[in-house]
Formats: sequence, structure tokens, C-alpha cells
Amino acid sequence: MNLRRILILAGVLLILFLGMYSWNQRTHALDDLAASVGLEVGGAVLGPLRAVQDVASGFWDRYFDLVDVREENLRLKARVDELESRLLASGEDLAELRRLRELVQLPVDVSWRPLGARVLAGRLGPNAVLDSITISRGYATGGRPGTPLVTHLGLVGRVLKASPHASTALLITDPGSRVAVFGQESRAPGILMGKGKGRELEVNFVQRDASVKDGEVLVTSGLDGKYPKGLPVARVVSVAPSDYTQFMAVSAVPLVDLQHLEEVLLLEPSGIAPPPEEPEGPPPVFVGPPAPESLPGRARTDVARAPAQRAPAQPLDPQAPAVAQPDAAPRASAPAPARQRGGETATPGAGADSGQAPETVPGASATVRTSRERTGAPVSAGATPAPGPGAQPAPAAGNARPGASSLPPAPPASDGTAPRYRVVLP
Amino acid sequence: MKILRTVGWWLCFLAVGVCIQALAPGLDVLAVGLIILLQERDYRNILWLVPLFVLVQEGMGTRPFGAVIVWYASIIVLFRLGRWLFQVENFVFVFLLSACLGAAYYGVTWLMAPLQNLGFNVEDTLDKALLQAIFMPFAWRLLVAARQMNAPEEEE
Repeated sequence: MNLRRILILAGVLLILFLGMYSWNQRTHALDDLAASVGLEVGGAVLGPLRAVQDVASGFWDRYFDLVDVREENLRLKARVDELESRLLASGEDLAELRRLRELVQLPVDVSWRPLGARVLAGRLGPNAVLDSITISRGYATGGRPGTPLVTHLGLVGRVLKASPHASTALLITDPGSRVAVFGQESRAPGILMGKGKGRELEVNFVQRDASVKDGEVLVTSGLDGKYPKGLPVARVVSVAPSDYTQFMAVSAVPLVDLQHLEEVLLLEPSGIAPPPEEPEGPPPVFVGPPAPESLPGRARTDVARAPAQRAPAQPLDPQAPAVAQPDAAPRASAPAPARQRGGETATPGAGADSGQAPETVPGASATVRTSRERTGAPVSAGATPAPGPGAQPAPAAGNARPGASSLPPAPPASDGTAPRYRVVLP
Repeated sequence: MKILRTVGWWLCFLAVGVCIQALAPGLDVLAVGLIILLQERDYRNILWLVPLFVLVQEGMGTRPFGAVIVWYASIIVLFRLGRWLFQVENFVFVFLLSACLGAAYYGVTWLMAPLQNLGFNVEDTLDKALLQAIFMPFAWRLLVAARQMNAPEEEE
């Protein structure tokens, strides 16, 4: 084979490769096929391996490690061992109960269903360049792409690609990861970025006047529509004005030890509306500026209210207990009253079904309240629910403007006769 | 029977390779199998094993499809270039080939990163390329020994 033929062959192969690459970029057919094959093979190999590893380590601990000491204890302290074993069993039960309670006490509501998954491996193979883990759930078992991953300590990441029974999850430390967060105390919004394995996270777009402090916990804001609101993510370790941008330079560390994960929880959207809660005590008296008729928010609110009066909201899921439910006061940890889901945006002051731009105007909340009290009509999605006792005002969703979190929250119904309704958008 | 044994052997190799890759992130164990196949000129098994290796590596990874094809193509090209000059069963040849493949590993990652809109970490890539270059000769030696243990049974 002479040089000319080799060059022609190389050129043909290059063209074929680029054609295949472009076709795959457009259709993702090869990506899906490779994910199905590769992750299934990896899961099928590593799943039993982990099980064997557990059995072997347990066998070693029980029968080989300190076996003499155990035999001596059995011979000399049979009675004491019996009692101690009972105590230990109770202690194990209590510890397990405590762990399980911690797991189920995540600050998420029933609209997200937690599913346990086992971490099979970290990065696998030469093609795994992103900071990721492989878990034992795929799209057939609850691990669809985009599903958030958490532990009882906080956010881990989200599923990147999945096969039927295994999936790869992108960690929040990866440079390609973005999470919409805000400070738990300061409520200053920002975008959390990974900087790579073992490096601190970076919070971008935090306003200069934000009162973020060292040690403050960052929680998900839910504004990105990817994660439930209120999940703890990271802890701030340094705050300083940026030398290069008009924002603050905020660094943070993840709350979860991402290098030693064994089990995680996947938060799968359940499609169930969060349960209503009754208000405790009298509603707070709202004091705010009057809503002038000229403000555009007034017109939007009226438009938002009109469809709700014409037709009640229909349940999207026939098995859901109630779609339009009286919503007295959402919990502090409940999902955002304005949550993006499936690309739609429900924003305080702007009805989701009104087609208006999501924007919050200071007079709009007051208008919602007065019109609602005046008419007693249920308000559709997008009506600003009042925060519960101790709840913090949440910033507006979507393209919320900086400083929107300082807006006065709308109060609940004053007399309790006009319940507010929430409609879960698909 | 021989076909079943061969298929079983390579499937065992695939499973062990995946387990080793789980222990060492970024390492490609299956590339050693490709070198063995090229040395044995076992083109019939190459036909089904290379696509399987590509699918497994691409599927377990996080990059868009395509990089492993370039990586395995570079292995084949370097192997065929080296075959003009050396005896392919020689350890020195495999050692030199591994060194070249370490460079190729770095080159493929550098080439594919902008194409796939991914960041390129020089330090991390150098570490992985070095690990790959060091791992390959010893894994090749072990694999050849395992093949030789299996060979008399196949002859019988």
C-alpha cells in the first residue's frame, strides 16, 4: 500500500468519522446506545462486585478479626454478652432509626419522592472526564437524566446520562455544574459553580450589597427548575468584593463529602401537590405602599385572576389527591411558591396562564391580596402565597431581578374565609 | 466449544477490566486487550470486540460519543507503524508503544476537548496519560501470560 492510498484511506476515514460525529450530535443515537450498553455492563459487573465486597468484609469482621477475643468473651462472659448483645441490637436499631429519620427529614415535600441508590464507582474509563459517579439506578428504576441526587447532608448533583439500570451523575464540583442558590440567612441569590475535584466551589452573580457571611449555608433556590428549593448545598468560606467584576467573590465548600459517597437519594418528581398547612396564629398585618392603578402589576393580576374565576383548575394527574388545594401557608422549607417546572414559570405577581412576562412589581402582591379578599375567589398559579411563621421571603423565579427578594411578601387571607389555591404546573 | 471458550475468556477480561477501571479513574484497561488482539491477528474477534469495547467505554464515560473511536484508532495506527520496525511480541516494543500511547492519550483528550465543548485540565490529563503509559506494559505481560495458560487447552 503506497503513501497515496494511505492518505486517501485516512481522508475517507476522517470524513466518515466527522459525519458520524455530526450525525450523533444531532440525534444522540450513538450516545444513547453507548449509555445503554456501557452503563448496563458497568452496573452488571460492579453491582455484584460491591455485594461480594460487603459480604467479604462482613465475614472478615465477624470471624477473623479479633476472633480470639470474641471467643474468650463468649466463654467468660456469656451472660454479660447476651445482655450486651441485646443492648447493641437496640443501639443499632436506634442508630439505624436515627439515620433513616435524617434521610427522610430532607427539606423536600411530597412533590419529590426520594429513592435510594448505591454508588457503584467514581469515574469509569478513559472517556470519563467529568467529575461524576456511577449509581445503581437507571431510567427504568427512577434515575432519569436530570434527577437530583442528595444525601441527608445536602445536594450531591444530578443524573447526567442513564441506562435502564445504572446511570452516571454529575457532581456539583464539576466545572460544568451550575446550581441556583441563595444564602440561608441573607437570602442573597447566586449561581454556584464547580471548579473541579477537590477545589472550592464558586458563587457567581452575588450582588455587592448582599450580606453574605462566612459560614453561611447556601441552599437551592429552585429558580433553575432543576432542584427542589431549600436543599442545603454548600457552606461559604470566603466573601470579598471581586477585583474583576461588579459582583462579590464568594467561595464555598460542599456540605457533602463527595469523595466518600456510598449511598445517595434520588429525588424523583412525584407529581403530587405539596400538602396544605393551616396557619398558626393570626395572620400578620400587611403594611405596604398602596397599589396605584397605573402600575402594570395591577393589570397583570387582574388578568391572572380572571381565568381562575372562569374555570377551576383541573387535576393533571387523575390519581393526585387534590390539585387545587387550600393553601394556608407554605412551610419555610416547602418548594418555592414560584417554581419553574418543565420550562414554565410561575411568578409572584404574574399568572402563569396569563402569558405575561415573569416580573415582580412592588404593588402587585398587595393587589393580589386586596382583590382576593375583596372577591374571595381562588387565585390560580402564580398568586403569591404568604410565608408561614418564620418563613423567609423568597426571591422571584425566572428572570428575577436583583433585589427582588427584599419585596414585602403577600399576607395570607385575613379572615380565613378566602382560602388560597395552588396549582401544580406540569 | 473453542468459540465459547474464547468468548468467555474475553467476557471475563471485560469484567475484570471494568473492575480495575472502577479502581483507577481514567485508566483504559480494555486497550491492552486490543493490543493482544492485534498481536494475535485475531481479526474475527476484533470485529465484535472493538465495537463492544467502544460502546462500553463511551457508555461509562461522560463525554459525547466519538473520543474512544479516535483513541482506539490511534492505538491501531501506532501498532501498525511499530510493526514495521519491531517484533510485536517483544516487551520493548510494547514499552515503546505504551509511551507513544501515553502521548496519544494526551493528544486525543486535547483534540476532543474543544470539539466537545469541554474544559481541558492539563495536569489531570498528564496524570492519566502517565498512568496509562505505565500500566500498559505490565498489564500486557500479565495478559500474555494468561493467554499462554489458556492456549494449551485450546490446542487440545
